[in-house]
This record gives sequence, C-alpha cells and structure tokens, in this order.
Amino acid sequence: MLNEPPLNQEVTLSIVGSGGDGAVVAGDLIAMACAGRGFHVLKTEAYGPQIRGGESSSIVRIGSATAGPLAAPPDVIDALVAFRFADFARFRSEMTLSDRCVVLHEPDDPPPAEITDSACRTFLAVPFGELAKDAGAPGAKNIVAIGLLTAMFGLPVDDIRSAVRRRFRKRDAKIIDANLRAFDRGVAHAGEWPARTKRMADVTAPAHLLMSGNEAAAVGAIHAGCSFFAGYPITPSSEVLHLLSEWLPRVGGTCIQTEDELAAIGAVVGAGFAGAKAMTSTSGPGLSLMSEMLGLASTAEIPSVIYNVQRGGPSTGIPTKSEQSDLNHAVYGSHGDTPRVVLACCDVEDSFHSTVEAFNIAEEFQVPVIVLSDQLIAQRRETVDASKLVHDLVERRIAIPMDEVPYERYASGTEDGVSPMTIPGIAGGMYQTNGLEHDELGRPAAGFVVHERMNQKRYRKLEAIAKKYPLFRRFGDDRPELGILCWGSSAGTVSEAITQLQASGARVAAFAPRILAPLPIAALQQFIDSCDRILVVELSFAAQFHHYLRSLVDLPRGQTNVLARSGGKTLTVAEVVAAAEPLLKMRTLEEVLA
Amino acid sequence: MTCDPTFTANDFKSDLKPVWCPGCGDFAVLNSIYRALAGAGCAPHETVIVSGIGCSSRLPGYVETYGFNSLHGRALPIATGAKLAAPRMTVVAVGGDGDGLAIGGNHLMHAARRNVDIAYFMMDNEIYGLTKGQAGPTTPSGDKTKSTTYGNPDTAIDPCALTIALGATWVARGFSGDVKGTTELMTQAIRHRGFAFLNIISPCVTWRGEDQHKELRAKLRTVPKDHDATNREAALRYTNEGEHLTTGVLYQVQHPTLLDQLAGIEHTARGKGSRPKREEFLGTFQL
Repeated sequence: MLNEPPLNQEVTLSIVGSGGDGAVVAGDLIAMACAGRGFHVLKTEAYGPQIRGGESSSIVRIGSATAGPLAAPPDVIDALVAFRFADFARFRSEMTLSDRCVVLHEPDDPPPAEITDSACRTFLAVPFGELAKDAGAPGAKNIVAIGLLTAMFGLPVDDIRSAVRRRFRKRDAKIIDANLRAFDRGVAHAGEWPARTKRMADVTAPAHLLMSGNEAAAVGAIHAGCSFFAGYPITPSSEVLHLLSEWLPRVGGTCIQTEDELAAIGAVVGAGFAGAKAMTSTSGPGLSLMSEMLGLASTAEIPSVIYNVQRGGPSTGIPTKSEQSDLNHAVYGSHGDTPRVVLACCDVEDSFHSTVEAFNIAEEFQVPVIVLSDQLIAQRRETVDASKLVHDLVERRIAIPMDEVPYERYASGTEDGVSPMTIPGIAGGMYQTNGLEHDELGRPAAGFVVHERMNQKRYRKLEAIAKKYPLFRRFGDDRPELGILCWGSSAGTVSEAITQLQASGARVAAFAPRILAPLPIAALQQFIDSCDRILVVELSFAAQFHHYLRSLVDLPRGQTNVLARSGGKTLTVAEVVAAAEPLLKMRTLEEVLA
Repeated sequence: MTCDPTFTANDFKSDLKPVWCPGCGDFAVLNSIYRALAGAGCAPHETVIVSGIGCSSRLPGYVETYGFNSLHGRALPIATGAKLAAPRMTVVAVGGDGDGLAIGGNHLMHAARRNVDIAYFMMDNEIYGLTKGQAGPTTPSGDKTKSTTYGNPDTAIDPCALTIALGATWVARGFSGDVKGTTELMTQAIRHRGFAFLNIISPCVTWRGEDQHKELRAKLRTVPKDHDATNREAALRYTNEGEHLTTGVLYQVQHPTLLDQLAGIEHTARGKGSRPKREEFLGTFQL
C-alpha cells in the first residue's frame, strides 16, 4: 500500500452541451457505472427552459467506496467537459470550477477569459467530434468524452463499457461496437496527458442502486402497499406518476391521471374512504390547489398521502430549481383548525422511508400526511443500498360493527383520538362522512359543544403521533458549542459542513427534524438548550423554518443567527461554514474575562 | 354491482330529517332514490352516495347507505376514487346545478369522457338555494336574482346537451314531481354500465316561487316512443328547446367503462408473469 501513489477520496466531473450533445447521457453512464462498481455517487442535472434541445448539464460527484454515502452536491468541479462554452455560460452561476480544474473543450472554441484567470487550471483542446467520426459513431462525442474522463481519473473501465452496452442494448450490434470504439478513442487520446490531478482508487465493493428521490418515493409507495394513485403532471414530481403508472397495474393497483390537482386529491380521498392505501404527488402550485381537500381529509378523518416536491415559488416560480418555501403551506395551509402530519425527507433513501412512514401514519391515525421533498432530493440521483430499502408497515384499524348499538364512526372517547373506521361493503357499518362538522355518528352538527369535542378528538391524534414518531436526524458533536437547525436537502450540506468544521476542532452539531408537524418539540428543545449558540439554515428568503421554530420552541435570544436565502441555487458547504465560523469565534463575556 | 331484491325502499330511509324547505322538489327526488335503489337491487351497505355542497347535496345523510357529503363541486372526483378502489360498490353521485356545472364543471367533463361507472343525479333548480338566491349556470338569461339585480347577463346551460357532447354514455331528463318516472330513470341510470347522467328538474319554491314550478310543468313533454336514443344528433334535438322540456332517456350507448379500460391495462402490464418481486422493481436502478 505504501508504494502506491496517493489516491483521492473523490472527484467531481461535469459535462455541458447543447441538446443532442449527450451531456446528460454521459453523466448517467458514468454515474451508473461507478455505482455498479461500489463507489458512492451523487448526480445532478440542469436544463435550459427549452422543452427539447437547448443547453443541458450534468454534474457527477464520485466518492470513495470505503467512506459513507455522499450527503450533498459538490461545491466545486474538478473536471469540465464543455462541448460549447456558450452553453456553459448559461450555467456559470451554478457551477464553480476548482482552482486546479481540468477543462476539456473543442479546439475551435477557446475558453472564455472569465475561467482562464486561475493559473493552475489545465485547458485541453480535444477534437471530440472528429474522434467520434473516426470511430464510426459521429453522434458519440459524449462517449469519447467519457473515455477521456475514465482514463484521466481512474474510473472503472469495464463497468463503463457495460453501461454503454446497456444503454444501447435495444440497438443494432454495429451501433454498440461503434460507441465502444468511440470510448476507446477517448481513452487512448487521454494517454497523451500524463498529468493527472486526481485519481479514484480501484476497488471492489458491493454494487449500489442509483436512484432519485422521486424514484425512491415510488419504490416506497409500492413497498407500503399503495393500491391507488391519482396525479396531475407537474415539475419536478411527475416521475412518481410515471413510475406508478407503469408499476401499480403490475401489482394489482390503480393509477390514474386526473384533470387537475383538485381531482387528484379528491380521488385519493374517495379511494381512502373506500379502503385503499391512496396517494398523490405534486409540487407547490398543486399543493395550493389541494388545500381544500386537505381540510376535508382532516375533518372527515380519511387516510391520504400527499407527496410534495418543493420548487422555487411563489406562483409558477422556478419549476426546475429547488427551494424550501412550501413549509408554511404544508403545516398551515387550508382554512380552519386542520390537524395534518408533515414529514420531511433529508435525502434519496429517506424519500423511501418518509413515504412508507406517511402511509403508516395516515392509515393508523386516519389523517392526511404530506411528505415534503424538494427538487434537489427529488431529481438528483444518488447511490442507495438495496438492503436499506425496508420498513415495517402499520395497517388501518377496521371497525367491527355490532347489531345492538349504532356504529359510531367518530367515537370521540378514545385516548389517542382514533375511532376505528368501517369501509363500504361492511354490513352494519354504514355512516355518512362529512366536511360539515359532525357528531359521533357523522351527522351534521353546528353546535359549539360538538365542535369543541371533535376538535379535541382530532388534535389528540397529533399528540399520539408526536409521541410515537419523534423523527429527526442529529449529527456532529455530543456537547456542541454551536447547534445548526436545518431540514430537507439542506441537512446533507450541513452534515458535510459539520465534518469540515469538526476537522478544524470546532464543537458543532446539527438537528434536522424529519417530521415538521407535529414537531418533535422535546428532543428539539433539549438539543437547543445543549448548545451555546444556534444557526438556522434554510432555502427560504422569508425564513419560514426559522419563524416556524420560533412559534414552537425557545431559541436563545441574541445567540441565534439565520442563514436564509432564496432557492434557485444549491446551498454550498462553504456558505454554511462561512455562516458558522463567526458564531464559533464568539465568546461570552465570562469567557473573555477568564 | 350487486342484485339483492331483499331490500325495500324503506330499508334505505335514514332517521335524519331533511333541512329542505316545505314544498322543495328534492323531497320527491329523495323518495325516488329510495325506490330506485331498492328497484335496482342495491344493498344499503354496498352502496355509496357522494355529494358536493348545496341544498340537494345534503341528500346522502337522508339515505341509509355509505354516504359522503363532501366539498362544493368535488363529488365526482371523490366518487371516481371510491368506485375505482371498491368496484363492487354501487356508486351514486348527487348534487345541484351550481355544484355540478359551475364550481365542479371541469370534473363533470372528465367523469363523462372517462365513462366511469357512476350514476350522477343532478337536482336542477336554476338557482343557488343554500346561499339564498343567486343566479346559477342554469338560471335563464335575463332573470333577476339576488346576484343579478338588473337581470342575468349569462346564457343558461342545458345540462343534457352538455353531457351528451362530453361523451356521457347515458343521458336523461326527469321531473321531480313525477316520482314514478324519475324512479324509473334512476333505476336505469344505476343499472347502466358507464357514466349515467340524470338531469332532474327540481323547482325551488323559496327562491324561484310557485310560478317557476308552474312554468316548468307547462313545458314538460316526454320523449317520443320512436326516438332513437343511440343517435347523438337525434338526442341533441331534445335539448335547448326553449318552449319545451323533454323528459325521458335522450341518449344511451355502450362503451367500455373506465374499469374495463383499467382491467385491460392491468392485463397488459402483468403479461403472463406473476406479481413482480421487489428485486424486479429495484433492478431498474442497477447496472
């Protein structure tokens, strides 16, 4: 081991081009191959606003096979393939090149001055198009680029060849061969450059799955036994609709596309009433439309799951970019006093668990459950271990009506507020459910006494849920000087920032609730009280998370800072570190005097 | 849909007293529903009645079945979800003209084109009654109401013309005062495979007065015996008539229902294989 050259823990590659250049395909192939080899991978994509064609980019962060999974997208890029710098310019604000970045470009397209300012960067002109043509695959300049990157950064050659074969498996053998030749051309061309800045260690580790948050949520729905899905297309959550339209009929379930989000959640509530485990998926604008039905599901106490992927808002906002600004709507949206449960997933694997947990809570407690994801989790692909995709299931309590007494659908005397429900088809279990306030039998009731009693019943369920599901992640120091409060995709970035801060000797920890309503208040307050200072981190300009916390827990006066900004650009580790450092240097008056 | 002749109209009566005004057309509609459910062979515990919001949407509470008094305009999506999740149930949707044509109009369009196996009874009183007398989508143009002080500027919709155009596979019109005729139409609607739309003229004595009742009754005529209900053009001739209001089955065809379509999809999706294992789904994400 001692004789081997030092190997890097990780490398980040980016490919940028126009429609037809295959930038995104190239990223997919590299990511899939590295995941298959056992490396941890985290891949993001970005597109211009065009429906077809236009500029597109792919960023693949490849991590060590021996270290843990990657928690966040990379701050900087180690190698850039730019088929056209005009396309790169479109993503300039979202991509930071490292000081030692290797940039590969076409010979007739010189790099712009703005990226040649760093003396340590390497610029290599590669005739991608020509090499592809020579290989007999004129459209395969992306495959040539993969060959170059593979050779330069020590990526697993055999796995990448397999990935290329798999990609073109439905095509002619000649096309596969031509693409493999293009790959070999790329590998050979790289031989001219011995200078290798970073190189991945060659390993043999168990293969990982590579999936997105939306895909993990769909897998979660199948795992949970979801039998009914209704959805309306919306970016960035449509992939759930796509996958379940393919999968549900295969397991005897039903998937329909409705006329709008009102109908999607309506059908889910109808199916839940009729006994199905039912779910819809949407994004901010759709969640707004679903508000009225959220109130109905809450008061009629019908199990229903809403998976919501946050994007830039308000209104149509920025459909393709991440933000954490649906929090207020998820926890408060809908008129009246409307108990509901809001879960928040922190990464791709967590999207699976949150979805299954949503079904468990919805079915057991007869409540609407919203799963909040965000575009960064929902549409990035990362490595997941298949063995981790398991989760216990909880089923609905079905009432057995007795002949002597009328069936009380909304029996209000239970300790946890849950009144076992019947489903259509059960003799003697008939009742009328209602969006109107209703008594124990489900009959409309407009009096104060019943309204108060039923509000108590419905809110008692939240107390029981808070006790049973105090879901959160805590990472970092046991006795922190600085505590960071964050949620959703920000949690991954914060965890990397904490690793970095701890390496420089700081005592810092983070708390990320995985359930926002009901918030795990006791555990959260205990965490806050154990810290000297607090930093709240979120991608919401109006600091929705911070204000929500303020309404439910005590944050130390004068010792709480907030890093809250608009979404539209990924939160970086450097941003979190920069916000944390001044708080770590702060000393109390006693400490200074001592 | 089950066929159980052991239940009578009385078995469908609940002990809840309707909140409707004395003389409301909906009382007669309710009586027809009791008889039709019994006549169609429905079992109370295997029947689901879903409504929206409005005077007529209170109806599920007065019938001894599984009932769902939901949100304004949203009866059809909920009924669709219930029918797909529990295909053995008889699912009936009820509501008013404002509920189904205004706030819920979009859902009517799509329930009709999907041919989802639901019988939808629209109690049409040409007014918003529960909110005390505003113009609705079937209020005649020029009528003065609380919300149209100088006369209704909008054109009225004929719900039958609309649903025939939308692709409903069974469309009829009834008059609430004719309990026997309405019962017969309801029974046929429940038995029809697919989306059955029944427009029931149900006058509002409180906000439209006795005159409306008289005027509507004077316009009534039944569809001729030789009417070809499978002919869309012929059916449309008995809509938007002006001086007449034709009752009876105007349009009736057979098309695959949404459940038929979904069964076909399930067959295609499953192929010859058995239920796929977890590994098969996860294989999608592996090299």
